[in-house]
Amino acid sequence: MEQWTKKHILGIKDLSRDEIETVFNLAASFKEISQREVKKVPALRGKTVLNLFFENSTRTRTSFELAAKRLSGDVVNFSVSTSSLAKEESIIDTIKNLETYHPDIMIIRIESSTSLHTLTKYTQASIVNAGDGRNEHPTQALLDMFTVKEVRGNVENLNVLIVGDIMHSRVARSNIFGFQRFGGKVTVCGPSTLIPYEFQNLGVKISYDFDKAIEDADVVIMLRIQKERQTSCFFPTMREYLDRFALTPERLRRAKKDVIIMHPGPINWDIEISSSLKEQVHPLILKQAENGLAVRMAVLYLVGTQKRELVEVE
Amino acid sequence: MKILIKNATIVNADNIFEADILTANTRIVKVAKDITPPEPVDEVIDAKGKHVFPGFIDLHTHLRTPGREDEEDFLTGSQAAAAGGFTKIFCMPNTLPSIDNEGLAKWIFEESQKIGIVDIYPVGAITKNREGKELTEFGALRRVGCLSVSDDGVSLPDSLILRRALEYAKMIDILVVEHCEDLRLANKGAMRESFISSKYGVSAIPDIAESLIVARNIEMAKYLNTRIHLAHISTAKSVEFVKRAKNEGVKVTAETCPHYFMLTVDDIEENSFDARFKVNPPLGEKKDVEKIREALRDGVIDCIATDHAPHSHAEKELPFEDAPFGLIGLEFAFSLTYTHLVKAGILDLKEIANKLSANPAKIVGLSHCGVIQEGFIADIVIADLNRQWIIQEDKIRSKSKNTPFIGYQLYGVVEKTIHKGKIVFNEL
Ligand SMILES: [Zn+2]
Ligand SMILES: [Zn+2]
Repeated sequence: MEQWTKKHILGIKDLSRDEIETVFNLAASFKEISQREVKKVPALRGKTVLNLFFENSTRTRTSFELAAKRLSGDVVNFSVSTSSLAKEESIIDTIKNLETYHPDIMIIRIESSTSLHTLTKYTQASIVNAGDGRNEHPTQALLDMFTVKEVRGNVENLNVLIVGDIMHSRVARSNIFGFQRFGGKVTVCGPSTLIPYEFQNLGVKISYDFDKAIEDADVVIMLRIQKERQTSCFFPTMREYLDRFALTPERLRRAKKDVIIMHPGPINWDIEISSSLKEQVHPLILKQAENGLAVRMAVLYLVGTQKRELVEVE
Repeated sequence: MKILIKNATIVNADNIFEADILTANTRIVKVAKDITPPEPVDEVIDAKGKHVFPGFIDLHTHLRTPGREDEEDFLTGSQAAAAGGFTKIFCMPNTLPSIDNEGLAKWIFEESQKIGIVDIYPVGAITKNREGKELTEFGALRRVGCLSVSDDGVSLPDSLILRRALEYAKMIDILVVEHCEDLRLANKGAMRESFISSKYGVSAIPDIAESLIVARNIEMAKYLNTRIHLAHISTAKSVEFVKRAKNEGVKVTAETCPHYFMLTVDDIEENSFDARFKVNPPLGEKKDVEKIREALRDGVIDCIATDHAPHSHAEKELPFEDAPFGLIGLEFAFSLTYTHLVKAGILDLKEIANKLSANPAKIVGLSHCGVIQEGFIADIVIADLNRQWIIQEDKIRSKSKNTPFIGYQLYGVVEKTIHKGKIVFNEL
């Protein structure tokens, strides 16, 4: 394994293909550890890991917390809604305050798309992005790709289709950068009001026709759609949205036989995906969650141990 | 049903030629000299000396149904349309209730089929109840056959909704038609702000109430790279914006109406503030009329629509400032255009087929319509351009009679209208 040099994991944008592969290899080993009777390794022993969630997300927070614990890190959860921290200034104050405890890793989920770089200036710790606004959700993309690799045996040169509210999605952005690193051709599909025109310049294809777009896809990532997008007029009604962009058995029949269907969760059944497809697609989506733990262990391990020689996990 | 039209002078948007036309069922099956049909036809029409146009298409009609059937209904509206040479008309959704769902739109298509005189295409509302707040289901409207959406009567008051509507319409492939009027600036005025409005103290609408929104709409369509159609353009300033936009390649199309190339504020004064001259956008000044004519000639304005707006006698009897806006136009648009633009030397005769048939079909995406050509829909108008007629109130087929053109002597009489291979209007 090569020397890991990245201090922070702020986004997939910043990661090379080799670095992503390093995460995958490590995640595979950690996944194996999770199946042992004793699931802990001492990699982060003595390290302080702060799990800072300025936005609610029980699943991601739990996944990170467990990942840190399996690596024997000392984890402290700090969940506070941004409404009680009115301005970004006070987030900086919070970081400065927490910095006095000399944490080694800060895992941060934040509403703002542009704050993380600024926050790196106020701490010596490594920052791991657990989702920042609409910008990126790197560990989600890593676990998505890791899952694809596990199922198919490869993650290279795939046709990836991302469906739904592209505009507001950090999952979409991270996956675009991720799959493109491996030569993937990414198509984004959703209402024309929810796909920024400029996405063309990211080298992705824009489609408004799910029926057609699904035909070539090797991987389909269904995004969560928020009800508030309708009330703010991005589309007229949920009925019309579903008519065009829900994954239904009819649509799935148009896809390749070995298509991989993913969803970052939690799924709104009968919104993004028909509940009649539950048996067919849910096992893989649960596998994503399982892989999320392994990938997050890998990421914490890499940023937490970068200052010393990488030791074999076993 | 088979019809053979002999010795026709066919006027299409791109050429005028002599030929016979054979229709079978709903289509034109042959256009050629001296057709001898292989089997007997139901009707032979000798069109010697007549001019034969593709059926006219009106992108902008108000049929008042549902809600104000006392002013117009689908039958009288269809009859008026056919008498004016129109075979396809698009009715605006400012009805009671408004056409903002596919159920109502579907009902209109069905009623139109039942009557069978012309095709009535409902224009869906852009926003629910035309309130400018929430988008309607363009997808559902498109699925039942709507080709355009509009909140006509008002502009979209919110630029963000306009943006969403245009972006969403692009995906659905439905035409957004905007009534261009800054409602705050128009401030409930009754006529164009002008010397005359000032002289009589009539509350008035400045011409920029239109052109400001024209400019906004163009900028938006340009930014989003979407098409937009501008309804009833009436001012010289609007024409300038459209012209510039077209030169830049913006996908904007525009319509005007006969009254905007015919009448001015002076006509209002000369007719002692007769409310039949009250229309929105309001009649402009001489320079506007000149500019509109020029824009029609140069192709800056793509088509002529009627904005046929029936109102009851009682409503138009009200004082000018209290009466509703609007005038009827289905029965006069062709003759007004022919007399005052073609005979006056401003437009070539072919331009009638362009401005009233081919262009509207193209703009709204009606395929196989608007041209007399083999394989196209058999929508045909036979007119005598040498005959004259006088607009008389008691001859009007529309249920409402509110037109400022009573007493006008015009050239060009529509003698027969054929819709989908069936004679739906016969003057003689
Ligand atoms: Zn209007
Ligand atoms: Zn109108």
